[in-house]
Amino acid sequence: MRLLSPRGWSLSLKLPVTITAVVAGVALTIGLAVLVQERARIRAELEERALLTARAVAATAVEPMLRSDYWTLYKSLVSMASGGEASGEDLVVTGMVLDSAGRVLAHLDPAANPLGLPLSLAEPEDRLWLAAVLRQDRPAISPGRRGKSDYVEALAPVLANDAPLGLVILRLSTQDLQARTVAAGLTILGLTAALAAIGSGLGTLISGRMVRPLRELAAGMESVGRGELHGLPPLTAHDRDEIGQVIDTFNRMAAELAEKKKLEQALATSEKLAALGRIAAGVAHEVNNPLAGMLNCLDTLKKRPDDASLHGRYLPLIERGLNRIQAIVHALLVELRTEGDESWDTGACLDDVRDLLQSEIGARPIRLIWDNAIGPDLCIPCRRVQQVVLNLLKNAIQAIPDSGMVIFRAYGGAGREVVLEVEDDGVGIAADALTHLFDPFYTSRPTGTGLGLWITYRLVESMRGVIEVESEPEKGSLFRVRLPAYATAPATAWGAA
Amino acid sequence: MLAATLAGLAAMPLPAIGREGVQFGLTAVVVRENIAFFERWGRYLSERLGRPVIFVRRRSYREIMELLETGELDFAWICGYPFVRRREPEYLDLVAVPIFEGAPLYRSYVIVHRDSTIRSLEDLKGKVFAYSDPDSNSGYLVPRATLARIRLSPDALFRISFFTYNHAETVEAVANRVADAGAVDSYVWEYLHRTNPALTARTRILHRSETFGFPPIVGRRGGDKGINAAMRAALLTMHEDADGKSLLAQLALDGFGAYEPSLFDEIRQLARRLSDPAVR
Repeated sequence: MRLLSPRGWSLSLKLPVTITAVVAGVALTIGLAVLVQERARIRAELEERALLTARAVAATAVEPMLRSDYWTLYKSLVSMASGGEASGEDLVVTGMVLDSAGRVLAHLDPAANPLGLPLSLAEPEDRLWLAAVLRQDRPAISPGRRGKSDYVEALAPVLANDAPLGLVILRLSTQDLQARTVAAGLTILGLTAALAAIGSGLGTLISGRMVRPLRELAAGMESVGRGELHGLPPLTAHDRDEIGQVIDTFNRMAAELAEKKKLEQALATSEKLAALGRIAAGVAHEVNNPLAGMLNCLDTLKKRPDDASLHGRYLPLIERGLNRIQAIVHALLVELRTEGDESWDTGACLDDVRDLLQSEIGARPIRLIWDNAIGPDLCIPCRRVQQVVLNLLKNAIQAIPDSGMVIFRAYGGAGREVVLEVEDDGVGIAADALTHLFDPFYTSRPTGTGLGLWITYRLVESMRGVIEVESEPEKGSLFRVRLPAYATAPATAWGAA
Repeated sequence: MLAATLAGLAAMPLPAIGREGVQFGLTAVVVRENIAFFERWGRYLSERLGRPVIFVRRRSYREIMELLETGELDFAWICGYPFVRRREPEYLDLVAVPIFEGAPLYRSYVIVHRDSTIRSLEDLKGKVFAYSDPDSNSGYLVPRATLARIRLSPDALFRISFFTYNHAETVEAVANRVADAGAVDSYVWEYLHRTNPALTARTRILHRSETFGFPPIVGRRGGDKGINAAMRAALLTMHEDADGKSLLAQLALDGFGAYEPSLFDEIRQLARRLSDPAVR
């Protein structure tokens, strides 16, 4: 089907086909025009020759006819009709000299047309023809037969002092004309074919020159599209035409893109370092806050070691502070923990998270809807995904002020991917908070570390997935994670993101 | 000045066309169209006579006879019929008679096309007939006398008759079926039968006449007496040398002989029977 539609054709086919068609069309048109003209010319020539011969016979026929010298009449008819060498014997179909009543005075076929008898005509149509031609008073090509029969008929009256003695009828075959037309037609066809072949060769050559740089350009653009900007050699422009200009522009664009990517990478590196700095500062700040309180407590306890009332007041404070530090450290360690030994399993391993969550919900009036539809044909890295799901679900539960609903959905998406959705009808996220949602130590809760979603983001990234958020304040939020899925565990473990 | 011009012309290697040497007229009694042969024969006779011999062709017998009478021609190969016509005064001498198949005799053939349905002279009724020459014995006189003998009037018998002025062309006319039948010199027919058998094969001999004196070679009386004798001597001895023999072979003749004018008495009687006023 693709071959039938010219829109689907490659340029390297379209161009030669077009050139061939144009060349062949032009050659054929000109050839046919010449053929038609040539045919008309040859026919006119034939008619002229027939007429000339008939007139010559008529001129020489006067004397023999007046003298009843039928032998001389016959001889002159034969010699004139057979004409020169070039005319050929096949050319003359028939020739005759009739008297004014239509009796044969000489005929090129004397055996069938006896001397002195009326011309034998079987068909009534022929008798009508004879009656018509006998009225002919001037040399002429028989009009009724023009173009109709396979011969040209010339009529020449034999006149003695303008008195009609009889009529010369000469028919020349048009078979030679047909043969010459056919031969000329074949020559034209041959020429057309030859020109078409040359045209298609030329077209192939030109299209080759045009298509090769275009293909290179397409390949180059594809590389750019994939982001493979390095190691892309500049394309060579062979001609200074439009294609050459496109190649130059492309080369410039690719060079600029490569430059831009380099800058971006440098920028990313510095951003990473800045982020690391921010994290370190955050950790220091977060750890430092409880530390100051705890050191105060310890100082007071050291001063008054026997004051039991202080124990009851300060020890829980110290414990809370240490717990907070532990939580921060745990959160920071999550990433390290999950790297290395990864356990690959089917989606069913996510159901373990459900039990953990029930204890998180406790007695709160929160409804958890669990819909894990990942089939056994898909394979996921369990621990990381569990961590991601747990983090998101915990956030969802925390986002619900009193009572509400949390929905977890997991399914195999389009292609080889796994989609995880966590939806709640909680407080939602403010628009300006959305932009900082995944920043480390960004939190909207007073007790939060601000590391949960950052870690989730890092985990998703480490699995080459993406995370999306849809949220409306006071209505709820939807977190959607898309992960590549595998039928079996991949041979190479993911490196650190 | 005119003499000077003529002398200048004579000095040129190619002579101008004109009356020069011995003029020898040819009629349809031989196949005149064999130019190469007559050139060779002319050279032969020129040598024998010591004077150039030029062959002269005319369409009809009558033209040749008139040229003989006016002295334009010195010799001619004519038919027996014009020979027996009365001349006042006589201006012809009988020089020699060709010998054909052993005798100075020939016949008249009535020929038809090979595929013709004509089986007898009676079948010629309503047909087209080709005579050779109105002054020909074999091509006109004999067939008419033959038909008259069986009480057929030639003028009423044929649908059309015409003259070809040439025995060879009479054969052609019949072979091409322009004419249904024709009268022809037996010598010419036999000669063509040897040289152009494809042509004669398309004809069939319907009737053979009795024999007549062969068309003779005549000379002008009252001219140069010596030349007539020289010509007779040259012709009568042609068969004695190789060159002459080969020429005779080409003519399909045995030789030439000297005969009396009485050889043509049968023709004279025939003409008389058809009430030709010009025959004594």
